[in-house]
Amino acid sequence: MIPNEPAQPGPISLPWHVLPDYQCFGCSPHNAAGLRLRFWESTDGDGLEAPLTFGRQHESYPGVVHGGIVATVCDEIMGNLLVLRTGVTHFTVTLRTRFLTPLAVGTAYRCVATVRPEPGAAGQRQATADVLDAAGDTVASASGTYQPASADSSRQHLALSEADRQLLDDAMSTADQVSGRERG
Amino acid sequence: MTSRQEIVEHVREIAAEETGLPVEELTPDLDLRNVESVDSVKVLRVVARIERDYDIEVSDEQVFAFTTVSDVADAVLAALRTADPAP
Repeated sequence: MIPNEPAQPGPISLPWHVLPDYQCFGCSPHNAAGLRLRFWESTDGDGLEAPLTFGRQHESYPGVVHGGIVATVCDEIMGNLLVLRTGVTHFTVTLRTRFLTPLAVGTAYRCVATVRPEPGAAGQRQATADVLDAAGDTVASASGTYQPASADSSRQHLALSEADRQLLDDAMSTADQVSGRERG
Repeated sequence: MTSRQEIVEHVREIAAEETGLPVEELTPDLDLRNVESVDSVKVLRVVARIERDYDIEVSDEQVFAFTTVSDVADAVLAALRTADPAP
């Protein structure tokens, strides 16, 4: 990714950054094949945004960004927003994406995500993400449903050593110092 | 339950913002296929905003069949009734 950074301070340090070798396809700086997304508080202060410029390695048709990559970006920013706001890992349950226009390789975009304040009856969360062009027009629009991972579920699904788990737990518990708004 | 008239007015406002047309021109039964400044992308943008505003999902079959503001409003109303059926 070629950064076209927002004016507001950042980027935000994600809890995963305490893990020396995390390989998230979306947001790890260590994954050479990944998107290496970085996130800023959105200009209205309510959500999260990521500057985007896709290269040819993200191509579908010649010059066109692969739609699966666009959906991945939307999922990634919504998931990280939930982690930052709640201090809890969330798994994607449903991801719905509307592609309004093709995205062009080498063109600057930004993705902005928001999360609905109140969780659903089962604790699930609804979030939205829009990819906008330089003129501010929406080129892709996504919504997702996310389920918070219980401690047991997290332990079962995340391949972490006990030392890394402790590091991550500590980082999650202080996520509110970075940008969370719901932590007491 | 939101009334059909309220939905029509909201769709007209969104459509005016997305197409740049004055809201007065966007009468409920105006055939959008005959309006030069309206294309399928703008209709999709209207639908995407409407889905978010009303927390509904409009099927792709409906989206590509929309020709008027009234069509969009009827789809919203049907989706709202499905989500929250009358007692």
